[in-house]
Amino acid sequence: MTERTIQVDALARVEGEGALYLKVKDGAVVDVRLEIYEPPRFFEGFLLGRRYEEVPDLTARICGICPVAYQMSSARALEKAFGVQVPPAVRDLRHLLYCAEWIESHVLHIYMLQAPDLTGHESALELAQDAPEIVQRGLHLKRIGNTLLALLGGRSVHPVNPTVGGFYRWPDVEAIRALVPELTWGLEASQETVRWAAGLDFPDLEVDYEFVALHHPQEYAILEGVVRSSVSGDLPEEQFEQGYREEHVPHSNALHNRTARGTTYMVGPLARFNLNFEQLHPVARAVAEEVGFRPPVRNPYKALLARAVEVVHAYAVALEIARTWQPEGPPRAEIHPRAGEGAAITEAPRGMLYHRYRVDDRGLVEDARIVPPTAQNLARMEDDLRMLAPVVLSLPHDEATLRCEHLVRAYDPCISCATHFLKMEVSEA
Amino acid sequence: MSARVVVCGLGQTLRGDDAVGLEVVRRWQARDRRVAAHPAVAVHLLELPGLALLDVLEGASAALLVDAVVSGAPPGTLHRLPAERLEAFVAGAASAHGWGVAETLRLARTLGRPLPPVVEVLALEAADLRLGASLSPAVAAALPAAVEAIAAWVRRHLPPEVADA
Repeated sequence: MTERTIQVDALARVEGEGALYLKVKDGAVVDVRLEIYEPPRFFEGFLLGRRYEEVPDLTARICGICPVAYQMSSARALEKAFGVQVPPAVRDLRHLLYCAEWIESHVLHIYMLQAPDLTGHESALELAQDAPEIVQRGLHLKRIGNTLLALLGGRSVHPVNPTVGGFYRWPDVEAIRALVPELTWGLEASQETVRWAAGLDFPDLEVDYEFVALHHPQEYAILEGVVRSSVSGDLPEEQFEQGYREEHVPHSNALHNRTARGTTYMVGPLARFNLNFEQLHPVARAVAEEVGFRPPVRNPYKALLARAVEVVHAYAVALEIARTWQPEGPPRAEIHPRAGEGAAITEAPRGMLYHRYRVDDRGLVEDARIVPPTAQNLARMEDDLRMLAPVVLSLPHDEATLRCEHLVRAYDPCISCATHFLKMEVSEA
Repeated sequence: MSARVVVCGLGQTLRGDDAVGLEVVRRWQARDRRVAAHPAVAVHLLELPGLALLDVLEGASAALLVDAVVSGAPPGTLHRLPAERLEAFVAGAASAHGWGVAETLRLARTLGRPLPPVVEVLALEAADLRLGASLSPAVAAALPAAVEAIAAWVRRHLPPEVADA
């Protein structure tokens, strides 16, 4: 009997811990455990009793990379609880802000985190030595996202301007217009990114995923939509918890999600790309077609390409809004707190982010539920590792570890986990 | 005049002693208000800046990064080191999001991006980095000395006419 264990222990970092444990006995996987520390659990507790206005700012702290997603999902959930509709100028500005976050987050992952796996470099630093112009392009693309985010949000990390009902103040229109040349450059450079990424050497792996993402008939859903599954069809966002359940697993302090049918599913760029290809901005769709990248795509590593296409989309949408946006009326809808409940989903860079709040008549939070995208992907990632394990365990140890890590990184789990996915120990019995 | 001297507090508010870099810079800013607000001086409080640190440093003649570190020294110990030596502290200096200060500076050098001729780090040894913790007593006790160290550094790197203002 041969038994082999791959274990990747947690690396102590300031925020975020990941661990991977894989055990194979006589060629069969007997145990896979992927643990990624997820702080939202903690937040649900300390949101209780807080005033509704504090919620977007508090939940933004859950993630330094996708604070806008937390602000948008929480603001929309609370607006639904209060029966508030935001005016079009607010919605457009939110769309623009969200594009900025997608740009920042996606570009970081494409160039700095996943690309080195595909180019055979140990890190982006090594990649920068061999191909400085590529990394420079990534840095420039990312910086434009930062600048836009800082302009609309007040600062580039944990923006302070968005609130329930809209924004505390309108940003300076002239400053937004002044970004048009940079956004125009970004639209070009992001298409170049797709062309470059299409030439990367993606490992072969085809998985019959159940994809789940927001869907909106008129636009590539980011801010709102119905929950669409490639297997079970559509569900209104309010019914998310009926269709998708969290389960406690003893090895992780993050909850794992499954569908009500018990299946695992994938959220994020690949799910969105497969489900919403028709709604992509024409420029993004055209460049995807040009490189022969069209649905269905079932190779998890190619999430990088989906991300790259989404960066084109985000630049194209941002450019249109930046050219035409005008403030109109007050920057936020008036809120009259009342007892109620609201649930909302938006598409964070890594996939659907669900928030539900119950508030009392003073607008104090009585119950909070947050389901982040990484928690939804965890069970799916474990299934993927189960599929991959028999193949890679015949490889030398370092290579096997790298292949496992690469697969996990392709999901862009929480970023701290995605960068240095840790060292590994092997014991063979 | 555009800012030539940059003072950067780095850290995370929610992570106990990891907030010390932010806190020290805030205190110095409140104490030496006039110097801190001078157009030749840029003060940044950055939580998880990652690669955006490069943009903050661009064009400066000198930069001081104030951060928490874990090196095994007694809590509250003040370390002053040139940025090149940061690598020795990577575990403590690296931010959550993969691109810590050391990696970011190394990337800038690799890409040949202009860095300030002087980049120095003022680091305080952290004790407690738990989520939600406040500054631990030994680290809090080191705040006045750290504030003084920032003031002295800024005086050294500012043009005399500003420093004397």
